[in-house]
Amino acid sequence: MIAALGAKAIEDLINAGRFGRFAWRSAVTSLRGCARRSTFPLIWTQMFIIGVHSVPVIMITGAFVGMTLAVQAYDQLAGMGLEEHLGVLINISVVKELGPVLAAVMLAGRIGGALTAELGTMNVTEQIDAVRSMGTDPVRYLVAPRLLACLLLTPVLTIFADMMGVVGGALVSFLQFGINSRAYWTFSASAVALWDVSIGVVKAFFFGGAIAVISCYKGFNCREGAHGVGQACTEAFVASFISILALDFALAVIFKSIYMIFWPVKSIVT
Amino acid sequence: MEKTTDGNPEHRTTDHAEPIIEVRNLSKRFGRKLVLDNISLSVEKGKTTVIIGPSGCGKTVLIKHFIVLQRPTEGEVYFKGRRVDNLSERNLNEIRTQFGYLFQEGALFDSMTVAENIMFPIRQHVKIRNWREVDEVVKMKLAMVGLDGFQNYFPARLSGGQRKRAALARAIALNPEVLLYDEPTTGLDPIRSDIINELILKLKRELGVTTVVVTHDMKSAYKVANRIIMLHNGKIVADGNADHIRNHPHPVVQQFINGQVGEDDLAVLRMSGAVGSSQFLPRDFQ
Ligand SMILES: Nc1ncnc2c1ncn2[C@@H]1O[C@H](COP(=O)(O)OP(=O)(O)OP(=O)(O)O)[C@@H](O)[C@H]1O
Ligand SMILES: [Mg+2]
Repeated sequence: MIAALGAKAIEDLINAGRFGRFAWRSAVTSLRGCARRSTFPLIWTQMFIIGVHSVPVIMITGAFVGMTLAVQAYDQLAGMGLEEHLGVLINISVVKELGPVLAAVMLAGRIGGALTAELGTMNVTEQIDAVRSMGTDPVRYLVAPRLLACLLLTPVLTIFADMMGVVGGALVSFLQFGINSRAYWTFSASAVALWDVSIGVVKAFFFGGAIAVISCYKGFNCREGAHGVGQACTEAFVASFISILALDFALAVIFKSIYMIFWPVKSIVT
Repeated sequence: MEKTTDGNPEHRTTDHAEPIIEVRNLSKRFGRKLVLDNISLSVEKGKTTVIIGPSGCGKTVLIKHFIVLQRPTEGEVYFKGRRVDNLSERNLNEIRTQFGYLFQEGALFDSMTVAENIMFPIRQHVKIRNWREVDEVVKMKLAMVGLDGFQNYFPARLSGGQRKRAALARAIALNPEVLLYDEPTTGLDPIRSDIINELILKLKRELGVTTVVVTHDMKSAYKVANRIIMLHNGKIVADGNADHIRNHPHPVVQQFINGQVGEDDLAVLRMSGAVGSSQFLPRDFQ
């Protein structure tokens, strides 16, 4: 019993180490790939595959987030007579928190699933070994373009989600609750700073990286058969989801401390 | 068949022939299962070595060690006198470009057309100046395996045998020094099999490539081999030229090359009893 637990713990540790090495190698290879002309078409292809079809779902996700926030928050703010500040609440939440996180979860399902399934199938049909057998590094050829595409695209897609969230929230506020649009925008503009938007975009960058590395890792290490591929996809999604939430927390802490350090400076400068 | 004198069983490790691949005391385990058991052998440059053996005896695992797609549990692998089994993947890439490897299942990239598959190694390792030239090369390689005209097919739309041949065309795309074929003739009709045999001989004759063929097809083995090695239960049980194998005293070898069932296998069949006793028959189905 104890031996079994110990063996499990050791196995987990080994897997964690393996994942760490894979992540490190992917990062280094991708950095090198940035300097290499031959990777550009591969990145471009991946961006096309990943990006184009994700735009509609991402925009729908964003719009619903904004609309729901408006409905939920209105009563509380109206109770205090602060309904004109509704925009502040919606837009800050969307841009800083819900936009990036929900967009990333959506992408973990959409892109992550596809990546794991594709690479997993290539793994079980020996196509990855075939890449190796021809003297090409599969991490460079398969992982780096996908990782770079995710890193570049997730922030962009998050901005789309943010935009739709802002629009959705505003529409519900104006049309359903009849809030004065000028007041709404004025309060929003004074509260939402570039800093808040940047936080969201930087978060998205990290989320994109996590989704790509986890999904590729699961694909590369997937077990044989259709069942193995399916299981790898599930594991990849769960792992991506948890890492998104964990990263979100970690980044929130980090950004807060950065803000605390620089906020006094900023108030002196301006 | 041309000269096979040097495969004489008594001096099979002839020291005048230069070994290009060498494995020493190679053992491979998957979990608890011992697949290769302390194998030592060397493949001579410019010769064709055929590896035969029953299904599941570890032939594929063995030749994967030659290009270090698998790493040994114990033992060493040498290529041109240099130890390769402990090299990093990055250093191996340069060595692997000197090999062509035909996977048992083909392992064609299914997101690419046949032509793109064959171009893949070329694009990875050659600076292409003239695309027309590349198309010519692709056409020629495909013609060699009888698939010219299938350039724009995706692998999923090819038959099993066609896929194998397309994979073969990809393996020879870079004119490698060493070719490793994993069952090149399985799943092909007899005439096509013989064309592949001729192709193997031609590549060896004209380009002087070293060839290792894994096969079950004894006709093909006799035709192309300078030397035949038989693997059984992870060990080498026979090693020599075609005549040596034909006249080998070991019953396992004789059974294999003549395609006879062993006594113990027959016993299992007899044990399984009369039809109807412990089996489902159509009349049982509602
Ligand atoms: N990746 C792996 N993990 C676990 N076991 C493996 C793996 N690869 C091969 N084996 C085992 O090693 C043994 C030998 O396999 P191998 O593929 O070399 O057989 P083979 O001689 O090529 O058979 P065939 O003629 O049917 O292709 C098999 O019993 C197989 O179960
Ligand atoms: Mg095999």
